[in-house]
Amino acid sequence: MRSPLVRQILILVALALAPGIGQAVYFQHKISWKSPIPPSELATVDQTRAWGENVIWVDARPDDEFASDHVPGAISLNEDRWNELLPQFLAAWSPGKKVVVYCSSLSCNASREVARRLRKEAQLPDVFVLEGGWEAWGKKNR
Amino acid sequence: MGEKEQMKQTPNVQRPTPNLEISWRGATSNIKHRTSNIVWRIVDLIIAGIFIFAALTKIFAVDQLIADLGHLHFGSMIADFQNLRLADPVQFANDIDNYKILPWPIGVGLAFYLPWLEMFCGLALILRRLYLGGLSILIGLVAVFLVATIAAKVRGLDITCGCFGHVSQNWSFPAHLATNVAILAGLLALWFNVRSENRTTL
Repeated sequence: MRSPLVRQILILVALALAPGIGQAVYFQHKISWKSPIPPSELATVDQTRAWGENVIWVDARPDDEFASDHVPGAISLNEDRWNELLPQFLAAWSPGKKVVVYCSSLSCNASREVARRLRKEAQLPDVFVLEGGWEAWGKKNR
Repeated sequence: MGEKEQMKQTPNVQRPTPNLEISWRGATSNIKHRTSNIVWRIVDLIIAGIFIFAALTKIFAVDQLIADLGHLHFGSMIADFQNLRLADPVQFANDIDNYKILPWPIGVGLAFYLPWLEMFCGLALILRRLYLGGLSILIGLVAVFLVATIAAKVRGLDITCGCFGHVSQNWSFPAHLATNVAILAGLLALWFNVRSENRTTL
């Protein structure tokens, strides 16, 4: 019984590969294999410089990290105190402004989550995640 | 009434022969076997249906269709079918990523692959082709998923399982757990039934 079982499993595993690959090819421009954030939702430090004054910086790191240092003019908005901090952010936001969210580094998830919630819950357009986060900003600005 | 007396009253009636008894018993056991087969086929269909439905919700954007089905808006269902498109796999990839077990590229690969695997395994159960293979894969998938869900809860991760695409987005942890345990129990019951059938035929 064992050998036919393995054969059956292999056949099913192989059968599912074909449509899976097909779908991956179909969506190749819509999803990034490198990072959970699609390229269209990422902004580099250079890009944000080019946007000049038209940017609202959002710091998604915990309060203590924000208190120790942050991008000049940034507003703190983290998930721990979301309901408390969101109104302060919305008061500073105006239509047409680009929102750039950052957290500690390339591997942190907080900026992605905050950006997702701003798009979904606050229905804001033009919300970007800073590529490389606070680390990348620090390297370019010091 | 004594046996002799009874035979006098109905002289033409004979006692059933042992052969007849055996064939009668055989017929009863056949009926029982058939009934039990039908029951197991129904379990097959239910379990396969769950996996095919789960796969469809991840492969196609069926939100509107399910909403209309739920509200019994059958009129607009034709329009839903016409507008049916491939679902964005980003959501499911994010659901897998939320478990914080696998690196992102593997999660993306699984987001494309797993729904189709579920679909083929479900079809294997319905068509009774590659049956044991399909059953084994599904048991493995549900077991891994169950462990991952419990591990995520223990680690304090707030996750959405993504098991039925957007449909299951707001399910609570106990709802996840109960659904998975019930499905796993069904799959294991099918597995042991097939194994016992194989033993009796050998």
